[in-house]
Amino acid sequence: MDKDLEKGLERVYEDVATYEGIVQMLEENPSDMNHIHLPLAKNVIRQHQRTIDCVMNGKPLAASYFTNAPEIFTAMDIHWYHAIAQAFAGGIENPHMMDDLEALSDMPIASDVCTLLRLTLFYLDAGVLPKPTMIVPLIEPCDGVLGLHEAVRNHKAWRGIPFFTPDPPYYDDERSIDYFADELERMVEFLEKHSGQKLDMNRLREVVEMTNKQYALWVEYNELRRAVPCPHGHILAMACFGLVQTEGSGGYPEHIQWYQDMIVDAEKRIKENNPEVPTQKIRILWFDVQPIWFNDLAPWMEQEWGVIVVMCMFGYAPYTQIDTSSDRSIFKGLAKRNLIDPPMVRQARGIADNFLHDIEGLVEDYKIDCVIVPGHMGHKDGSASISLMRETCRGIDVPFLYIGVDQFDRRYTTIDEIKDKISTFFTAMGLG
Amino acid sequence: MDSKIDSSVLKEFSEIARMLANPTIDDWKKQGGNVIGYYCTSMPVEILTAAGCLPFRIRGTGSTDTDFSDACFSSINCSFVRHSFNVALSGGFDFLDGIIVLNNCDNVRRVYDHWRRRLKTPFVQIMSLPRKTEEAQVVWFRDEISNLIKALEEQFKVNITDEKLSDAIKHHNTTRRLQRDLYEFRKMDDPPITGAETLATTVASTAMPGELYNQKLTTLLNELKSAKGHKEYRARLMVLGGELENPAFMEVIEGQGGLIVTDSLCFGTRMFWREIEEGEDDPLTAISRFYISERPSCPRVFGKYEDRSGFVKNMIKDFKVDGVILERLTFCDPWGFEQFTIKNEFDDWNIPLLMIDRDYTLSGVGQLKTRVQAFLEAMGGK
Repeated sequence: MDKDLEKGLERVYEDVATYEGIVQMLEENPSDMNHIHLPLAKNVIRQHQRTIDCVMNGKPLAASYFTNAPEIFTAMDIHWYHAIAQAFAGGIENPHMMDDLEALSDMPIASDVCTLLRLTLFYLDAGVLPKPTMIVPLIEPCDGVLGLHEAVRNHKAWRGIPFFTPDPPYYDDERSIDYFADELERMVEFLEKHSGQKLDMNRLREVVEMTNKQYALWVEYNELRRAVPCPHGHILAMACFGLVQTEGSGGYPEHIQWYQDMIVDAEKRIKENNPEVPTQKIRILWFDVQPIWFNDLAPWMEQEWGVIVVMCMFGYAPYTQIDTSSDRSIFKGLAKRNLIDPPMVRQARGIADNFLHDIEGLVEDYKIDCVIVPGHMGHKDGSASISLMRETCRGIDVPFLYIGVDQFDRRYTTIDEIKDKISTFFTAMGLG
Repeated sequence: MDSKIDSSVLKEFSEIARMLANPTIDDWKKQGGNVIGYYCTSMPVEILTAAGCLPFRIRGTGSTDTDFSDACFSSINCSFVRHSFNVALSGGFDFLDGIIVLNNCDNVRRVYDHWRRRLKTPFVQIMSLPRKTEEAQVVWFRDEISNLIKALEEQFKVNITDEKLSDAIKHHNTTRRLQRDLYEFRKMDDPPITGAETLATTVASTAMPGELYNQKLTTLLNELKSAKGHKEYRARLMVLGGELENPAFMEVIEGQGGLIVTDSLCFGTRMFWREIEEGEDDPLTAISRFYISERPSCPRVFGKYEDRSGFVKNMIKDFKVDGVILERLTFCDPWGFEQFTIKNEFDDWNIPLLMIDRDYTLSGVGQLKTRVQAFLEAMGGK
């Protein structure tokens, strides 16, 4: 096998080994929540093994994203992997992170650019990304992802690999959905051309019906999180949603099973008044993605302050149910689902009102006591919206904290500094 | 670097570049004209001209602090946006009758959100600019322009006909042609105009009535024919980057002995190196195609890197460039990634490249001087 291709799989093998350990741990300790997560962990391994198989056997492999209509990839039996997710290895901090960050500082790219995106470029430079046969980049919701993918497709390691990306308009109206649906149809033409595999609309319908079920269950589960006390802690709110989304999210039975099990467990906990976090005093909306260092912060918030992270940006994505009555209705449904609904994209792609409407709705629906915006250094549009978020929170009389962090580099604002800011805030606001 | 030409036109252009509201705008307003602000080279200014309005490109010229805009933007946002919006909040753009923002970048697009909440400008619009350059995007942007026309017609009680659009295309093409003629002088071994003077000239085109500008630029071009050239420079330089409209930045570079002979800048060649196709049946499609796929792109556009690097390479050849300065405003993500990719090209081309991250204001002059001096010395300049 080509040495470069082999090197590109090194970290995939490492992730597989990590998740095999997790599976073993979950199987040996089936109590409490562990049995629920077992299928998810197994699916991560299965997806990674598919990546290995594609690279080793020259099968079509796409570097793509969960916002590029993964249902289409599933229906066409084209495997894809989430290149940016290398840094968090399917939900867990990459064990090489500190070394990678050190090496990253030697690359000729400005340090004020999002660390996660710079890391992805570093992985490509270092040859540790599996080489795809097609690139389906993400060019929203921020300038950084567009810049990254323009750099990626022109990088000597991947130059010449066919690419296509659907172009997302700035609005949410019917005209935008039609336009984006057309773009998705053009994406299918691209995938057919470069994979040699045809899209069977009946198969796509089946997959979409499965994701309809999956996303209906997600909405149902999220409604259960409105309960006081909230049935589950932060891990369920965030990490697993990320895992479902980034690991072949387009219609897998394991995902449906996971949501069903989560709902059963949540209902049971509500009925028995047995929340996973027993001492809940402060219900917070964590309005951003989960930082890789969150496991160093969230348990502290729970124990020290009785915090329960009721909802976050990644956990809240009320995906649209898709009308499967015609081919066009499927594409339009997928357009809406991928343009308007996905976490992060739903808030950051368009006008600032998207952030504000979500905050208003979530605070009311989830009985939020305070909103914390960690403020990732890469989220320039979010930083430019902080004042509007603060005003919105003031208008609905809920305390608001903006921190200023690097979600992927714990040196930017240390955990101790973050804890200090949170403690000061809770004290000043009379919370806890 | 001293000027080689004693031109009242050039002095006027330089004055206009040094201020925001200027006497030509005052005159325009006194005659009942409307002025519409916009933020980027991708704004189809032909539409505003056809509506009888004066297009005014937003700058933060003269701003020294961001006290007001810091309440809206954070310290990790682009300093151009923070300064220009500070000017807006301070009343510096009160002469505008409207503002049009495109989703150009993560910083600029948020200007729309703040502007419509915090200022009383009567006409505030956002336009959705595609990030790709294929036919579908041309069609999309044509519709965007069409919607803008309806909004302008309603707001300003005007009728924007195809004939007016065709006239506006011709007018702006004339401006572009004249500006390219200006650059022809810069190809000479001893160009009669500096980079700072050229930038002032192109900036002025975004801040004064177009007919007047074209007349004055024609005069300047005639004056340049008999002007003496600069012979004493140490190297011929190109400046590459995004938002840069302060001639003083160029003056600092040229003060070290490097003569700037060309650029790829938002206020430079990317405005005028191509023209809109005249005589197309549908002027809106011609305008849309120009802005989406024909004019030189910036890194905000996906899939066109090869064209951008080809454009730079041609400039280097055509203008006999010895070295390139790539300037980037700190916190600009598209140019951040472009720096990474294009640096490797320069290594392959064997052309010296100096990469400078800077603040919108000219706050680090000493450091800039030192870096340019070192760059010129490393190049072995005269």
